[in-house]
Amino acid sequence: MSAEVILQANNITKCFGRDASEVRAVDDVSLKIRRGEMVLIMGPSGSGKTTLLSILGALLSPTAGSVIVCGTDISAMKESELAALRAQKVGFVFQAFNLFEALTVKENILFPASLTAQGIKGATARLDALLDKLGLNERQNALPSTLSGGEKQRVAIARAMINQPPIILADEPTGNLDSHKGQEVMMILHDIARDDDCAVLMVTHDPRVEEIADRVLWLEDGSLRDRKSELHSWVLDPVCGMRVDEWTATVYTEFENRKVVFCSTRCLERFNEEPEFYGDRIDPK
Amino acid sequence: MLYWSLKTLLSEPIRLIASAMAVAVSFVLVIFFSAVFEGESNQMVVYLEKMDADVWVMQKGVSNMHMASSMVWDWKADRIAQIKGVKAVSAILYLNGPVNIGGKDWFSYIIGVSPEYSHAGPWSVIQGKSLPDTGEVVIPDVISRLTGVQIGENVILIDRPLRVVGLSRGTFSMASSVVFVSREDLGDLLEAGDQYSYIMVYADPDVTAQYLIERIEDEVDKVNALSNGEFIESDRQLALQMGAEIISMMTILGTIMATLIVAFTAYSVIARKKQELAIARALGFGNGQIYMAVLYQSVAITLLGLLLAMGCAFTLLAWLPSVIPQIILTVGFNQFIPLVVVSLPVAIMASLAAAYTVTRLDPMIVFSGQ
Repeated sequence: MSAEVILQANNITKCFGRDASEVRAVDDVSLKIRRGEMVLIMGPSGSGKTTLLSILGALLSPTAGSVIVCGTDISAMKESELAALRAQKVGFVFQAFNLFEALTVKENILFPASLTAQGIKGATARLDALLDKLGLNERQNALPSTLSGGEKQRVAIARAMINQPPIILADEPTGNLDSHKGQEVMMILHDIARDDDCAVLMVTHDPRVEEIADRVLWLEDGSLRDRKSELHSWVLDPVCGMRVDEWTATVYTEFENRKVVFCSTRCLERFNEEPEFYGDRIDPK
Repeated sequence: MLYWSLKTLLSEPIRLIASAMAVAVSFVLVIFFSAVFEGESNQMVVYLEKMDADVWVMQKGVSNMHMASSMVWDWKADRIAQIKGVKAVSAILYLNGPVNIGGKDWFSYIIGVSPEYSHAGPWSVIQGKSLPDTGEVVIPDVISRLTGVQIGENVILIDRPLRVVGLSRGTFSMASSVVFVSREDLGDLLEAGDQYSYIMVYADPDVTAQYLIERIEDEVDKVNALSNGEFIESDRQLALQMGAEIISMMTILGTIMATLIVAFTAYSVIARKKQELAIARALGFGNGQIYMAVLYQSVAITLLGLLLAMGCAFTLLAWLPSVIPQIILTVGFNQFIPLVVVSLPVAIMASLAAAYTVTRLDPMIVFSGQ
């Protein structure tokens, strides 16, 4: 791939605690992400995915190693410079949406625009385009509390895109959505990488995203590793029927002494409402 | 961030008002102590103010009426009246002590009034007559209401029963009310029938108080002459000193409570929005902007609390005396200044402490959504 490298990590390590209680959350990780690329970071819970994302997003400093964003080494930057970098170069999409409850959809999207030289006025054309693209035109004056999960995540994506950052970092963006809405959000992020020439780096447990990703990085015990194919154990979500990797799924329950996995918490909630009904659909594998 | 700050506050109006009310209640507590103190202090010099003399003459070495005793021969009043530049004089015999009304001792300024100096009597009488004759007394209407003692009933001054013949208005004070008796009765009780305590001097037009003071001290032996302003200020200071320790302690305790409430309110309002502040930080807002956002919020809540407190204080001022007549309140804008000076920095520091925790937050908080 010849596209420009937009995000680069060189041997980054992050340790928490000291001496005997030291934990290496990220251990000597190096990676390169180019414009227009959609890269997934997958791995078991507690493998250091979110810590790695925080370091790449300039929210957390690595204990060792360097991070290069758009050709600039950010390791020695001051907090104020890092804040400016986050505003200009990085868009965040979170699992919990993280919208501002008192602000309308439009205000939420425009919130980071005040940090740019053009300001909020300069971002109105971009706002209109994003509202249109993400199907939020009708909801632009609504408060987050009145939105569905899918709408909230679309607002969060629009907010991440308002300053036209070259990098989008998404942490489990489909984790709180049902399979249909999750699919919709994934496709939006995929389109952003393709059409807006952004680098999209996504932490996810959702194996369905693999099909649309350019690359999948496997993080385990803080280190990037080659993922072995036998680590997949595909089963069907008894609620929505989607394929789920039993090894990496984080949403699961016990039913009749069996582990039942789901694609999302929404499906787990539905299962818990009518376990007997869905019990018959559990994948016998 | 300013827009976010204000919109976040206004999006939860009940919570905002509750926070501001918590601040307001604590302020009202302090203002109430201060208003009672101020009201009482003013009331303790009300007699001096109402007499509106240009110069007060008293026994040498005496410079107060409150908690003081003064004796001046009565002929000195006539002598002063003859000094050039004196338009008129008035004189009273005076005792600072208890009067038993309705079975309870009321610490009072007991003014012995002569018929020839009727101006020295009560300035407002709502029932009965204003000048007591021998065996008679005029008491404050508030004491009459509180004790049920009416006109025609007796009160006791030292060991002498006196019949209530008038109820005066504006003469009550929790610390020292003004009670009027005849000079003859008081003179008899004090064995000072040929003396006065204080002589009020009224100047001719274009004659200054200072000129009269010099003339009086030159021409009359063993007296002290003070201008009206000096005398009132001297008495007010003495009254303040006597009540200051208790009231200062109450005010300090009230201020500490108010400060703690303000700090807690500001901290909790900001702490509730910690998650959103952390998100703002992740989106690229710097620590300075985070600090400014919380400053706007805490200043807005404190000032709103102060406004509510002012509203409550002035409402209390109008309403409380009609329900609890013995309470005299004086509320002025100057009483709010120390509150602002103390509470605003405390609110700012408390909110900055909350904001500081945001700047030190583990960035995972924005990912975990907790």
